[in-house]
Amino acid sequence: MLTSLEQSSFSTWLLSSNSIWAYPTVLTLHTFGMMVLVGAALMIDLRLLGFGRGIPLQSIDRLFRVMWGAFALNAVTGTMLFVADASKRGPSLIFWTKLSFVAIGLVMAVMIRRRNFESGAEPVVISGAAKRLAIVSLLAWSAAITAGRLLAYVA
Amino acid sequence: MPELANLADLAHVHLLLNHFPTIGMILALGLLLLAFMRKNDHLKKVSFEVIFLIALATLPVYVSGQAAAEALKGQAGVSAEAIVSHNDAALGSFMMMELTGFLAWLALWRIRRAGRPTTGLTYTVLILTVLTVAAVARAANMGGDIRHPEIEGGQYAGWFGTSAASGGFISAAGIKDFVLQHPFVWPTCETLHFLGMSLMFGVLLIVNLRLIGFLRGMSFAAVHRLLPFGLMGFGVNFITGMFFVIAASEQYTQNVAFHYKVLLLILAGVNFLVLTVYDEAWSLPASADAPLSGKLLGASALVLSVGVMYFGRMLPFIGNAF
Repeated sequence: MLTSLEQSSFSTWLLSSNSIWAYPTVLTLHTFGMMVLVGAALMIDLRLLGFGRGIPLQSIDRLFRVMWGAFALNAVTGTMLFVADASKRGPSLIFWTKLSFVAIGLVMAVMIRRRNFESGAEPVVISGAAKRLAIVSLLAWSAAITAGRLLAYVA
Repeated sequence: MPELANLADLAHVHLLLNHFPTIGMILALGLLLLAFMRKNDHLKKVSFEVIFLIALATLPVYVSGQAAAEALKGQAGVSAEAIVSHNDAALGSFMMMELTGFLAWLALWRIRRAGRPTTGLTYTVLILTVLTVAAVARAANMGGDIRHPEIEGGQYAGWFGTSAASGGFISAAGIKDFVLQHPFVWPTCETLHFLGMSLMFGVLLIVNLRLIGFLRGMSFAAVHRLLPFGLMGFGVNFITGMFFVIAASEQYTQNVAFHYKVLLLILAGVNFLVLTVYDEAWSLPASADAPLSGKLLGASALVLSVGVMYFGRMLPFIGNAF
């Protein structure tokens, strides 16, 4: 199945077209989405860990929307990039490691928002549990980027 | 993508810009000393701003120097040894210049909180500026030795002896070997480059979305506290980026995407400086909207940083492929 995905006319276009709008643009959009998604997540994590204390949590709630938008972009572009290289990525351990860390990062974002943002009340102190979530989130996104970057060199 | 400059143009750019670091830092040092004599805090702030801008201007000087070296390669009357020594001296002074620029920025950032330049940082910047002036003047002098027949021929040995005799501990060739001979270095630098980019962009996102008005309910002073994280991300990317440029300079010097990237990087740096010292916005309370100039500043910061990312990612696809 992976091979048939890879041999679809879409995959052929994405990989073999010399157009700047094919592979280069999809890859650049994927990088843009990563930068926005991880950048916003890092800011929320840093705030929970005590940096920028003067920033009320409620005022950065909108960053979650930015994150979901960036994730939607990367789910689409990521699927396109996977399809184009399916038989290489499908069995790649690094690829599935990357996706696992992305999943952990997203779960952390949902949990962080549920625990610290949805009540609408500004917490006086950030709980230890929230800080632990922030640390897991920081590590998960860093690991996802590391695995993603290694895909270009190792896999 | 229209070409900005070919190799010969870049060699000219190098000759045009290469006086800015030396003369700029001497002027900045003069301003800073004057500020001390007059006990004028405002003048100290201006000196830090000038130092930051000169540090920024040194980036195209260094990278255009790589192009100039390629353009001169194998030409008669040019000493290859002199180029190597000049490059090593330039790299060392470039590192000092950027460290000084970084601390000058930190001093500017601290002024927002402390209300005036803090003593320790100001003296650190002063000492580093003196050392940078010496290092950059030495590098410039050695650059002059590359092709100036009127001062060659034994009558003039140069202030620092003959160029080829220099054997400093910073060697561009050594860095190049380190990057190319260890297969883990390039991917590691790439990974750090992406992490640094995300950190930097996260800070730019929160600060500039606040300026534009998309994020509300936080004071500018509160987001101002996060700016050093942005510069920390930039620092990571500057260092890892220099590893790439030094290890494979011909991949970049003749790459139109890289030319655009450096151009946008300089504009983004100026934007970041304006953002740091932007008084009209930083005094506003949490509920207030930034003036139109602030919104434009925020929007241009985001456009410029996305542009830098775009041309970075497009390096292998626009212009010459890797």
